[in-house]
Amino acid sequence: MTILFRVLVIGLVLGFTSHAVAQVKFNGFASVKAGMTLGSDDELYKYTDQFSFKNESLIGLQFTADLQEKLSVTGQLLGRGGESYDAGFEWAYISYRVNDQIKLNAGRLKTPFYKYTDFVDVGYAYDWMRVPQAVYNLNFTSLDGVSLYYTSEFLGFDSSVLLNVGTNDGNPEINGNIVQGKLRDGYAMTWELSRDFIALRLAHLGGELTMSDPQLNGFADILTQSGFGDLADSLLLDEDRAKFYGVALTLDKNDWIFVSEVTQTKLADTLIADRRAYYVSLGHRFGEVTPFVSFEHINNSAKSEIYQDIPPQVPFYAPLVGAVESFKVKTEVWNLGMRYDFHPSAAFKVQLTQSEDKLTNEKDQLLTVGIDLVF
Amino acid sequence: MSKLLSAFILILLTFQAQAGTSVIVHPSNSFSLTADDVTRLFTGRSKTFPDGRTAVPVNLTEAVAVRAAFDEKVLGRSSSQIKAHWSKLLFTGKGTPPKEVDSDQEVIDLVKSNPNIIGYISSENATGDVKVLLSVD
Repeated sequence: MTILFRVLVIGLVLGFTSHAVAQVKFNGFASVKAGMTLGSDDELYKYTDQFSFKNESLIGLQFTADLQEKLSVTGQLLGRGGESYDAGFEWAYISYRVNDQIKLNAGRLKTPFYKYTDFVDVGYAYDWMRVPQAVYNLNFTSLDGVSLYYTSEFLGFDSSVLLNVGTNDGNPEINGNIVQGKLRDGYAMTWELSRDFIALRLAHLGGELTMSDPQLNGFADILTQSGFGDLADSLLLDEDRAKFYGVALTLDKNDWIFVSEVTQTKLADTLIADRRAYYVSLGHRFGEVTPFVSFEHINNSAKSEIYQDIPPQVPFYAPLVGAVESFKVKTEVWNLGMRYDFHPSAAFKVQLTQSEDKLTNEKDQLLTVGIDLVF
Repeated sequence: MSKLLSAFILILLTFQAQAGTSVIVHPSNSFSLTADDVTRLFTGRSKTFPDGRTAVPVNLTEAVAVRAAFDEKVLGRSSSQIKAHWSKLLFTGKGTPPKEVDSDQEVIDLVKSNPNIIGYISSENATGDVKVLLSVD
């Protein structure tokens, strides 16, 4: 709360004092969402069978001060219901428009993994209740650094290229544990092409990742002391190379909307599994109402090769296999939902989600209703 | 009968009021634009006129009826879709939606005072101060 207060004061002071030289614009977005799982033991996206309003409700406030024609400052504050609406800067950057085609940003930006990453919190901008969680699940969502945004025409297509470099320090989640994380030498290249009803997006990101989990570190220490230093190194994620590839396709014709995205993440020299995920979504606009159905799939194979040459009689064999195999994931998710534009600035949404863990055949069903708006 | 007649006239007048949307620029401009060109300018995908000069689109607020007609008939999308489109750009630092004004007269005043501005109005409000580039019913 104090952070929110401080930032609002800064924002307002900025707004008042710069009144003579700068025009400050305020815009915002908000979501109020409520959901519950349908089975008594079901748990999905932090929802349980107890009706909850807080998990995905949020409010965002953006202010942009145009200092001169080409220079501007933007801050975007976001408070999430799941975090008691403690607001933090999701974006905070200065922007320099070189010309009509080139824009440079410096500061806190988003790591542009996926097609919807940049505006993932602005629910009004898409039809689903939430972006596909089987795919949109990588950490390091922010990047502190610089970006270059270049728009042009390419073979009759509208082309936009985004190049980012930066770093990030955060507390990512691995298998449900919050750990300490660092991203160094991070870079991102994305290219979007669109024409008529087709939009294509290509993304490649990379960097050196470090994630420090006390439990895993302890286990690695034991291995090193037992003379298995190389094995310990192959488990830890310590300044190891990570690479991400993504392709997204959108077709929007005669009120039919098809979206699909395929992604792959590769992590070298760590027990954390490589990830492969995709989703497909099909919707149809009937005036103000857009029903849709979507399917998500994630398949992460555990790196069994790590323990393949280790003799099973070593005392740490079972925990080693357990740790490596814990990263095996195979999940399928079905969504059925609807967006209804009941107001010029607000949309009502309802969505039924069924997530099935294909390894345990456990199913979780979730019903969510909500309103997304922009102002 | 007279009631029916006046109702009929009223309906005609209503149709008249919603009859058309005209895209306007300063009379000194000599280029022409297609609906697709206008769409590109009003969705931020293009920032220049065919002669290379910077184009500054000016929008009407949603309270003005012709806005919905323009969105649907010229841009080919509902006002909600247009707003969703701009939300993506606005909250990601990629673009700013066109400035919005409250009336046709304000659009005309802006257009006639600046050759870079492009706007739209109800067709019946067009004056000799501006040049109509494109009209749709």
